Amino acid sequence: MASADKPINTDVPEKDVFTLHFLQSLSNLRRQNTFNSPEKTNDRVKKIKKAAYVSMARAAGGTNRLWSRALLRRAAKENSKVVRFPRRKKRVTCLRRRRSNRRDPVEEEEAERLRNLVPGGGGMETSKLMEETAHYIKCLSMQVKVMQCLVDGLAPK
Amino acid sequence: MLEGLVSPENLSLSSMDMNVLERLKWLQQQQQQQVVSQSSDNSPELLQILQFHESNNDELLQSTFSHFQMLGSCFGPSPNMGFGPSHEAMDGCISRTSSFQMVPVDTMGVMLKNSEENRTISSKNKRKSEVKRREEEKTEKKIKVEAETESNMKGKSSMSNNTEASSDTSKETSKGASEIQKLDYIHVRSRRGQATDRHSLAERARREKISKKMKYLQDIVPGCKKVTGQAGMLDEIINYVQSLQTQVEFLSMKLAVLDSELELAVEDLYLQAYFTNLPVVNASKPSIMVDVPLFPLDQQGSLDLSVINLSQTTSTEAPSASWETQSRSLFNTSSLGFHY
Repeated sequence: MASADKPINTDVPEKDVFTLHFLQSLSNLRRQNTFNSPEKTNDRVKKIKKAAYVSMARAAGGTNRLWSRALLRRAAKENSKVVRFPRRKKRVTCLRRRRSNRRDPVEEEEAERLRNLVPGGGGMETSKLMEETAHYIKCLSMQVKVMQCLVDGLAPK
Repeated sequence: MLEGLVSPENLSLSSMDMNVLERLKWLQQQQQQQVVSQSSDNSPELLQILQFHESNNDELLQSTFSHFQMLGSCFGPSPNMGFGPSHEAMDGCISRTSSFQMVPVDTMGVMLKNSEENRTISSKNKRKSEVKRREEEKTEKKIKVEAETESNMKGKSSMSNNTEASSDTSKETSKGASEIQKLDYIHVRSRRGQATDRHSLAERARREKISKKMKYLQDIVPGCKKVTGQAGMLDEIINYVQSLQTQVEFLSMKLAVLDSELELAVEDLYLQAYFTNLPVVNASKPSIMVDVPLFPLDQQGSLDLSVINLSQTTSTEAPSASWETQSRSLFNTSSLGFHY
């Protein structure tokens, strides 16, 4: 077992990084011809939402975080694009061996719910899940702030 | 040598378990002199037993306690005093056992001089943070001992009372010696009655890790401090994550609606919005700030995006360049391998 002395590192980049990525993805969306048609609002909503998540994942550290990696992979699968991730030192799958060890009936129900919420949570051990949740929460709140600012900026005056 | 390490005054006991030892302490305070005289009788037996079991700490626990029970019966139960003489002897024995136990490991002797508990040591191949906690608990326990000795007058063979309940629900206070120079692993002192096998220690370590991270999460999630207990906290965290996700969805809907109302090439509008609303006080990216006023709103198709470069190169003005080419170049320069 590793020592418990390592500090938990959840550094989140600044707002500008998030904004930049989001704007890039939005402009990319706009370049698509079918985007601005007034009828298919739902599709646009979904696309914007997906763009938001993907840009957040990219801004927050790309492939360095488990949740962002899972998000990107999921998005790529929907678009049937091939995603190549750089090789990591440890394989994530070796954690699955420890599944039998992490039974704790009080915690596990909640942890199960959390796993459904946080992308990529299914393959993580509970302690790792907590770290990822913390980082995910920070990035999500940053993304929400960015989007709020955009909406305020674009609101009709 | 052994006498030097025996210091009955320093024996302070945990509040939760160790009923036998708490009683001993109580009796010590009453009859200190008899301890020394009686304990001297038992030393040779003890030394033998300890020598025999020196290598195997787990068995040591069993053996010492069984030995204490033997001793208790030797001295004969005196109904009035309850556990008087036997406990004195046992106390002496215990102090001797613990002190003797420490001999093979040098640094352990240091611990014993401040020793407060007489627990066995189970060595494990892992590292724990120990010294600070130990010292805090020392002072706590010295206060608690006097208060709780009376409340714990029960049967002496209490190796396994409160085991599962307390071990699972309460926070563990596992102690261990700090880094022993020669050995690779940290000696962990287990609580009385708690299992010292690998699995439960591993479980304990794991649970400590998780609780540490939960504390960290508690700081992040607003409104989490009022709720105590892991279940409630986890509920709060889950609610917070769900609310954030619905917020994202809601805002994206808003953006979609707003987008439909605006005409083409709203990128510069976006950038304007970005720069006016977000307080960017980031001095490390001066290039972005400098060029904002140079973007005229009426130039819809052309935008100098070479400025906005994550690698912070100096900006070059190229107003005639079209939006598409520049954005494409941006994408190419980015190190991310996945384009959405």
